[in-house]
Amino acid sequence: AEICITSMDNYPLYIRSIPTQGELKFHYTVHTSLDVVEEKISGVGKALADQRELYLGLLYPTEDYKVYGYVTNSKVKFVIVVDSSNTSLRDNEIRSMFRKLHNSFTDVMCNPFYNPGDPIQSKAFDSIVSTMMVQAC
Amino acid sequence: MAQCVQSVQEFIQDSFVPMVAVLCSEDAERVTRKNSLSFPELLRPFCRLTSEGHLRDPNNQVVVVKGLRISVTGINTRPPQTPEMHRLLSQAVSVCQPPEGSPANVITAGDYDLNISATTPWFETYRENFLQSMPASEHEFLNHYLACMLVVSSCEAVPTEQFLKLSQEQHRIQHSGEYTHPKWFIPNTLKYYVLLHDISEGDEQRADSVYEDMKQRYGTQGCYLLKINSRSGSTGADEQMPDPWSQYLHKTSIHNPELYEESAVSNAVENNIGAEEDGLDPSIRDGPLVFADDNETHPLQLDQPTDAGYPSNNASQSVNNVDMTRPQKQASVTSHTTPTPRGTCLTLNDHDHIRQFIQEFTFRGLLPHIEKNIRQLNDQLVSRKGLSRSLFSATKKLFGGGKVPEKSIAELKNTAGLLYPSEAPELQIRKMADLCFLVQHYELAYNCYHTAKKDFLSDQAMLYAAGALEMAAVAAFLQSGAPRPYPAHYMDTAIQTYRDVCKNMLLAERCCLLSAEILKSQTKYSDAATLLIKMTSEDSDLRSALLLEQAAHCFINMRGPMVRKFAFHMILAGHRFSKAGQKRHALRCYCQALQVYKGKGWALAEDHINFTIGRQSFTLRQPDNAVAAFRHILINDSKQSAVQQTAFLREYLYVYKVRNTHSCIMEALTLFSTGEKQAATHVSLDQEFDRDLSPLWRELEERVVAVVNRGAVPITFQPSQCCLNSQTDNLRYPLAVVEEPIIVEVVFRNPLKIPLALSALCLLWKFTPKDFSDPQGNTTMALNDIIDTQVIPEFTISPEETKVARLKLLPHKTGELHVLGVVYNLGTGEVDNSEGDLMCVRGQQNLEIQGPRLNMTKEEKTSVTYGPDHRLDPIITPLMPLLEVALTQAINFFQFNT
Repeated sequence: AEICITSMDNYPLYIRSIPTQGELKFHYTVHTSLDVVEEKISGVGKALADQRELYLGLLYPTEDYKVYGYVTNSKVKFVIVVDSSNTSLRDNEIRSMFRKLHNSFTDVMCNPFYNPGDPIQSKAFDSIVSTMMVQAC
Repeated sequence: MAQCVQSVQEFIQDSFVPMVAVLCSEDAERVTRKNSLSFPELLRPFCRLTSEGHLRDPNNQVVVVKGLRISVTGINTRPPQTPEMHRLLSQAVSVCQPPEGSPANVITAGDYDLNISATTPWFETYRENFLQSMPASEHEFLNHYLACMLVVSSCEAVPTEQFLKLSQEQHRIQHSGEYTHPKWFIPNTLKYYVLLHDISEGDEQRADSVYEDMKQRYGTQGCYLLKINSRSGSTGADEQMPDPWSQYLHKTSIHNPELYEESAVSNAVENNIGAEEDGLDPSIRDGPLVFADDNETHPLQLDQPTDAGYPSNNASQSVNNVDMTRPQKQASVTSHTTPTPRGTCLTLNDHDHIRQFIQEFTFRGLLPHIEKNIRQLNDQLVSRKGLSRSLFSATKKLFGGGKVPEKSIAELKNTAGLLYPSEAPELQIRKMADLCFLVQHYELAYNCYHTAKKDFLSDQAMLYAAGALEMAAVAAFLQSGAPRPYPAHYMDTAIQTYRDVCKNMLLAERCCLLSAEILKSQTKYSDAATLLIKMTSEDSDLRSALLLEQAAHCFINMRGPMVRKFAFHMILAGHRFSKAGQKRHALRCYCQALQVYKGKGWALAEDHINFTIGRQSFTLRQPDNAVAAFRHILINDSKQSAVQQTAFLREYLYVYKVRNTHSCIMEALTLFSTGEKQAATHVSLDQEFDRDLSPLWRELEERVVAVVNRGAVPITFQPSQCCLNSQTDNLRYPLAVVEEPIIVEVVFRNPLKIPLALSALCLLWKFTPKDFSDPQGNTTMALNDIIDTQVIPEFTISPEETKVARLKLLPHKTGELHVLGVVYNLGTGEVDNSEGDLMCVRGQQNLEIQGPRLNMTKEEKTSVTYGPDHRLDPIITPLMPLLEVALTQAINFFQFNT
């Protein structure tokens, strides 16, 4: 499973994945999924659907993984990749994971010493992500 | 998909053209050989008709045939066998590279500006070669021979007898049942009698009279007198004749592997051909097998031992252009820049004659023949039902009732459903559909395909049904005015059936290529991409690579361009290309993908691409690019693990080493960002400079001066500096004394997670001798006579460590010294000695020091300018008195002075 946060202009702010040996593959997957995220964002703008809904749902399934997306109002993108075989995680669980992630991300942003656009280096954030990863795997 | 040269309609029409066989007598072949061409090759450039043809369909409607092309091939041209075909395709692709410095096509998508080649000629070449080398299949008739040209020379003793022989030969090939190939469209193949007359040799009157005789015998529409070779070849070399063959025969020269420098690369082509062969339909797999032992069975080789003068014997030499071109090419210079001149005996008039001949053949011979057969088939179909209604209502019910007696065929059932014998009534409608398709009567063709499809499906003849579905979709698309939308689902079903049920990847691939092209023309890029990606598989790397690349182009061409998907699929394509041995294409793919990943913070992905680019460039002997790519991996704050970094570094060193032996250029090996550069010059103390003590020394000096000047320090006083660093005033050239050491401190920082070993570390300098005492300086002396350079033999830096190296110079002459940089051997910090010796390269790093930012005048404040810094440019002065002070107890000394 992998959790990734990218900035407005798609620079990675935070990437974490377990197990680490397949990291490259995860990175490619997440990067490619950003296309779908952007497509969805522009689609939402056109249809004037519920603008409050930040959760984008399942972006696309691959053979081995499911990729979920979430985008904040400032266009910061969250992507979670989980194993396809993992059936315990349903839409609701993923949604709450994103919400938790968003909250702790906001906490990081509130840190006056954090310079927006820099990679996130925060112990508190790390630990929250770690607990989520344990849950996801 | 990228843009193509041909339009979709042209592409599809050219993929399915009427096939004409050629059977040539020996003498006739000799006539065409004068031009170093076989008869089919002679005709090839003229096979596209420039004018419209007309024929009537069964309902007496006039059908206009535009831009028809016919394909003329020797009767025993064999489709290449699977491994052979793979080799040909792979060569065709590797030869076709993007032109150097082609106009770059910049696509702006979001915040990306991408340089992408808009066209992919290698894909088109592949597609064309692939479609042309499709073996004739049982379930369709499109590439079966419709007609046969019998060619006899006019100088033959009795031409009519020769014609008779050839005609019998053709009949034997088609009907004796000995041969499974070639395949024939209709039992009574059209025979077209061609009398070839060599103007420069033969007797024209005799030729004319023979032709008159032929007209009596075969009718005016069934024969032709073709006059060529208006001049003898020797005289013709002077003028500039257009060579219409060049673009066609280049392709056959692909058959000759020796011609290409890359043959070594591409011979390693597909390592899994075996797998592909196993996936083939049994009927197809039989094809090569028949040929394999067909010294016995093939028509034209059978007669070889019996009668040397037998026409078919020489036909086997002549018509088989693949075999003919090979010895010929080898005999001539083995480079395709100077091919044998072709068509030297032909004038422009002769070209016109050939063009007229093709026109005549098509309009008087072929089209009426097709028209007649369509009518016949239509009549058959109608009469069988005993109804004189229109075709379509009749054919619908045609096989509805009469199914039961045919069930015996079911014994032939294999995995792909049942196989019909070649003249089965079920196939007649398919035959008619194919005929209509070839003459561009797409509406009727669609209806027939549609009907045939239903019949085949009800019989569970899956291969046939898939074929009918495929062609129905194509015919529906080609119908002018588009009465119905393009049925993409037909294609999908056909592909699925070909692939999963019939296990015939060739047909599935053809279907996919057609459908993708059609979808592209309707701007349904995402559907096309899905289709192309689905078609990639493990069995052929080359195919997968090409299709993935096209899919990537689909993504970038979408209305909202999907840049990242483009990049990702480019990487996949690059990977498959490199597996298929197409290194150049692989490199190109990776480079295009890099544009997307570059500088966006996706470090792992970027490193991976750079690493691959490095490797590929290296194998393609582009060491400069390789070094650049590898350096990129190492200097950027690498997030790779230590193991990876070791691998990267080793690769880098290796490439660098090889490159240096290629060209002995020493280049800056700027691996390390030397942190803040700090240079300690003019250290005239034997001991090392100690930063903490330096203020103490300065104070001491000041006091000494004060004592000398009786209590007051003069304004001009400058403390003599022992050490210069970024804080000191470096505007003046420091003074150094001959025979006194100069020490330069260089700070190295290792950004990697692995230890690095530098060895033979020393300073690099430039020296201008200037003798202050003796005007006539002698400049020729050994290096060590001028300056002693201290060499540090070993200098290891632990992972991510910052370490200071002290480098000493000892000048022996006076003059101006410039310290330029440091040189060292860089190696991996491995203990292994033998390996360590191998794995190190000499590198150089220049020391360039930027002076302080100037901020005094207004001009300086508004712009960014830096002052000079002369720390590293000391002037070596003649010997000066050296005051040596030995201090036993420093503290006491100070106290004593105060």
